[in-house]
Amino acid sequence: MSDDRELVRQRARSEEHAALFEAPDDIDAINRLYRDRGWSDGLPVVPPTVERVERMLAHTRRAPGEIVARIAPGFGAASVEHIAINAVLAGCDPEYLPVVIAAVEAAAAPEFNLQGIQATTNPAAVWIVVNGPVAGRLGVNGGINCLGQGAWANATIGRALRLILQNVGGALPGGMDRATQGQPGKYTFCCAENEEANPWEPLHVERGYRRDCSTVTVVGAEGTLNMNTHTKDPGELLRVVAETMVHPPSNEYCHGGEPWLVISPEHADILKAGGLTKAEVKRRLWEQSRMPARRMTARDLLRAQASRGKELGEIGPDTLLSISRRPEDICIVVAGGPGTHSVYVPCFGNSRAVTHEIAESD
Amino acid sequence: MEVAKRGRAALTICSTAFTTLGRAQASALGDPALPIAVVAHPFGLRSREEVREMARQCVTDIVALITGRGCDER
Repeated sequence: MSDDRELVRQRARSEEHAALFEAPDDIDAINRLYRDRGWSDGLPVVPPTVERVERMLAHTRRAPGEIVARIAPGFGAASVEHIAINAVLAGCDPEYLPVVIAAVEAAAAPEFNLQGIQATTNPAAVWIVVNGPVAGRLGVNGGINCLGQGAWANATIGRALRLILQNVGGALPGGMDRATQGQPGKYTFCCAENEEANPWEPLHVERGYRRDCSTVTVVGAEGTLNMNTHTKDPGELLRVVAETMVHPPSNEYCHGGEPWLVISPEHADILKAGGLTKAEVKRRLWEQSRMPARRMTARDLLRAQASRGKELGEIGPDTLLSISRRPEDICIVVAGGPGTHSVYVPCFGNSRAVTHEIAESD
Repeated sequence: MEVAKRGRAALTICSTAFTTLGRAQASALGDPALPIAVVAHPFGLRSREEVREMARQCVTDIVALITGRGCDER
């Protein structure tokens, strides 16, 4: 540790600009430095040399010193330069920078409740959904294995945001990040919507953006739960999805949340062929996923009463709790490749997804 | 902390599991000496009487923290 410190010399530091270090020309020593200082997520990093950071910064018109957001819980200033450095660390191609900047802006919006997401004992991760033409241009995968490994853009964009949340926001595990277990999505969690295979309007259009606009949407996601069904009947399909969403120890039933679903193209086609709009799918899921409050533990029922009393009045054991306050709060993305698998993404509950336009420099 | 900035006595209460977070966040927000009253974590398996005793102790701690570091000393 002390040897590493001798290798490093701080030359400049300000809120807008990162400190400049002289590091050894040795990838192992650099990674040891990042590891010892808690500047990585536990994986090796790409050294953010001045040249690499400048190549990254060439893909935005914004000034390096511009502060994009303050990142809870430490409220560090995420300048464009800080974002670029972490994007380099994560292995991003320089062209990805505008996506990462937009994700930071979205995650810092008050309704996203980054303070809660970063500091909670809940495993909440920030899931990034990319929409619009930029997804195709950058190769953000919304098809086969879109939530898995293999796509450079998915892996590194999600990782860049995680590093910013940790290095700028200060959410180090065991420090300000209090997650009881966390989840694998806290390394990286990013995909595109499969807009070509989506029989309905894409997510960003539903959320008020033009189809030719590119956006990121950030979601406070607890994890993923696969739903495999070979049914071709839209009613049956919705029934089993709704039954999957019902689980008593859920933040969403407790607080009136915002559950997300990644519907596979095959399942989406079944629903569309059944004459169902996305709004109707949401309405039916909302109705069918209502859960008698008695299924919660007595203590959790009291938590629900405290959290949803204004919305629902007195909550008794026979009260039917909806998973979200309104049907439209159930959010749907169509993504994935061929197959009969859709995914339930339970969410943090005290958070609302935020969509932000990606300002591309070209 | 906003209250403290206005010169009023203020403190935070948190459980032992969140003391690190509270202290780090107070420092990040510019008041590393913000008083924090700490109660033992977790509460879940404690009896009602044990929780009452914790509350009584916490009140004592709060009074000590406030009177030991009044707003005039800030």
